Parts: sequence; structure tokens; C-alpha cells
Amino acid sequence: MALRHDHNQNRLLAALSPIERERLVPHLKLVSMPLGKVLYESGNVLSHVYFPIDCIVSLLYVLEDGASAEISVVGNEGLIGIALFMGGETTPSRAIVQSAGHAYRLIGRQLKDEFHRSGHMQMRLLRYTQALITQMAQTAVCNRHHSVDQQLCRWLLLSLDRLSSSKLTMTQELIANMLGVRREGVTEAAGKLQKLGAIRYSRGKIAVLDRQKLERLCCECYAVVKKETDRLLSPP
Amino acid sequence: MGQTSRRPSPNRLLSALPGRERQHLLARCEEVQLRFADVLYEPGERIRQAYFPIDSSISLITPIDGHARLEVGLVGDEGMAGISLVLGVSEAHTHAVVQGAGAAWRLDAKSFKDELKRNAALRLCLHRYVYVVLGQLARAAACTRFHVVEARLARWLLMTRDRAHSNSFYMTHDFLAYMLGVRRAGVTRAATSLQSQRLIRYSRGSITIRDSRGLEAAACSCYAYAKQTYDSVIN
Repeated sequence: MALRHDHNQNRLLAALSPIERERLVPHLKLVSMPLGKVLYESGNVLSHVYFPIDCIVSLLYVLEDGASAEISVVGNEGLIGIALFMGGETTPSRAIVQSAGHAYRLIGRQLKDEFHRSGHMQMRLLRYTQALITQMAQTAVCNRHHSVDQQLCRWLLLSLDRLSSSKLTMTQELIANMLGVRREGVTEAAGKLQKLGAIRYSRGKIAVLDRQKLERLCCECYAVVKKETDRLLSPP
Repeated sequence: MGQTSRRPSPNRLLSALPGRERQHLLARCEEVQLRFADVLYEPGERIRQAYFPIDSSISLITPIDGHARLEVGLVGDEGMAGISLVLGVSEAHTHAVVQGAGAAWRLDAKSFKDELKRNAALRLCLHRYVYVVLGQLARAAACTRFHVVEARLARWLLMTRDRAHSNSFYMTHDFLAYMLGVRRAGVTRAATSLQSQRLIRYSRGSITIRDSRGLEAAACSCYAYAKQTYDSVIN
């Protein structure tokens, strides 16, 4: 396992300066992230942060009545637990593994200390926060204005960018929770995309057949989020 | 804006700073009058100034598809416009448009960044504010998905009231529709319903809140949530 996984697979960790690396890397712990695992619930006090390397974690906002909608996806470009260094302690969202894989886990205190050194890492984390803000704002707008089909395309494309393969294993229920729609809504949207030859969908497995088609069918939200994320996370 | 007090209330973020740090910052700010519909910055533009509203309010609007848009934040004396600067990013990703005329403290981006560097209390306070904004955005994504127009309109009117420090304000249906990201007919229906419950009075673009408590009950839970989060994180 140690051969296959490397902290440099996470973009934030890969960008650490030599001295930051020296301080943090010994404390990173490789953990497995199985599909559907809940890393934390909204309102939980954060004890750890996670740096995904080949998994995808979905942040869901859960309303009082249990209805939920995805507010962002986090893969190897980011980390889960930004509330910790922004000073909020508890998290407003639920974090759930949406595509299985691995992540590096760090004790919250250690990240906080590093953040407050006001160095290179702090700048990176703040820029990542801005990328997340953009993604959330865009998602709010997308939820309001775009069809379930378009949203499914956006979600598939954002997920694909965070994976090394073009196959996603997902339950229909999980997708429904992400998009904040009924399961029938997902079936219908996935059926449409399948008919158009963009994806193949069966028993919770989605294979993307034609990525370009998916991009054409998608609303602009995917491109906006991708462009902004790339811009903010590339070295200034 | 009928009942604004004559002496502008200070901005609450600045009030949360220790006295000396606040003085230092305010000495570098200038007090400006923001006019209705003034555009402070646009997506893709460099943010030249940070604003701390005193009794004005600023709408943050995400553009989409060239026409339909949605308000993703409303900044009044509880907040600041230009938080990207706090995150080390100079470029704006939303429109910032003055929604409620009034006063604000203004600081140019360079001085703001210098101040942020030397003033640890300000940094801490604004990082916490960013955390609050993140929570609000997350909530907005769920709210726009699940809550009905009437409840969202009620919430929006209360938020505007809090920032305008007045129970009456001027607002057209078109503007409301634009902010809430719904059709004009939807806003008209919702406003008529709130009026028939005697919660608001609406005529020719002038809105008066008649029953605050009632309107709070009609609003979605997001209104109370935003208040609570702010109070627990900032104060």
C-alpha cells in the first residue's frame, strides 16, 4: 500500500514547502475511505482533517427536516475540514465518501498550528477556501435555475475530474441525496443521458462513455467551477 | 428609508475588534455614502476596495447564463464586501451592487492587506466571518432547492429590514424576482399572500413590514439559522 499511495497525490500536500513538509508529513496517516462512510455530521466538532488522494468526498447540507443537497465535492485538489482553521470549530455540513479510495488524515490541532504560522500553507488553504466559496455559490444558483439532467452532468464531470478512471460506483440513493431530488428523478435523468449515449448506467455503476457529450449537455456551472478552481489552486 | 437613526451604527465586525486595533483600522478607512444600484465590483474584476457597511447594504449576485441570476449574499453592518481579499484573492467572482443606500467604511485593497498582515485580531475576526459566509452559502444551496418562494421572500424581507434598520423600504417585483431567482409572477403571488396575512403592506414598490413576529414565522428556518450562527461565531 505504501508503494501505491503518496501524499503528493493530494495537490495541497504536494505544494508544501520543504520545511512545512518536514513538520507535517510525519503526522499524516493514510486511511481508507469506503463508499458511504460519514466523516462527520453537521454540528460535529472537528478532530481531524482529511486530504483525499484518490477518493471523492461530498459535502452535503442537511436541513432540519432531513432534506439534503450537495454543496461541494472535494477530491485530491482539496481538504475536508476547513471550518477548523477558519475558526468555526464545528462544521455546517455532512461529509460523506461519494467515491471510495484513500485519504491522508491529520490531527486538527496540527493543521491549525501550521495555519497560524502564516506561511505558504496558510495562503494555499485560504485560496482553496475561495475556490470552495465559488463552488458553493455556483451550486446554489445551479439548484435554482438548471434541470436535474444538467445538474447530473455537472456532478458527473466534477466527479470525473477527481478520479483516475471513467467509472463511478454510486448508489442511486446517494446520487439522489447529492442532487436533492427523488430517486425517480435520478433514474429519469440518468436514463436520458444513457439514451443519448453519454453514459452507461446499471445497478449503481456509472460509466462515462462520451465525456465531450456530457460537457455539451451540461450547464455552464461545471466550466465556471473548474476554471476558478484551477486558477486559484495553481501556483500564483 | 424611514427610521434610520441619525448617528450611523458602527459596523459589527469592526466593533468586535479590541479598541486600539479598531482605531488603527478606522484611521485608514474613509466613510463614504453608497448610492442605490452603485456597482462596487463585477466578476473577473480586481477588487479595489473593501467595504464595511454602516447603514448601507450590498447584494452579492452570481451571474448565470447571461441573464438569470441569484443573490448569494446580502452584506450589511454585520459584514464586509470583498472577502476574497481576506483569502488572498484579488479578483471578484460575484457582482457587488448597493441595494440599500447609506454609509460604509471603505479601505483600499492595498491598505486592507497591510492591515490584515499586521493586525492579528482583524485576521481572526475576518476568518471567522468567512466561516459564517461559508455556512450561509451552504445553507443557500439547500434553501434555493427546497424552500418555497413565500418563505424565501419572507426571509429576504427580514434580512433587508435588519440591514436597512428600517421597517419600510422600496423594492420592485422585478428586483425581488431577480434576487430570489424566480419568475415575477411567483414573487407577486408570494407578496400578495404575505399581504393578505397582514404581515406586510405592499404598494407601488414600497414595502412595509407590519408584523415582524408573524413574518419571522412565515420565513424559512434559514433566517433564524443565519442569525444564530453569526452571533455564536462573531460575538
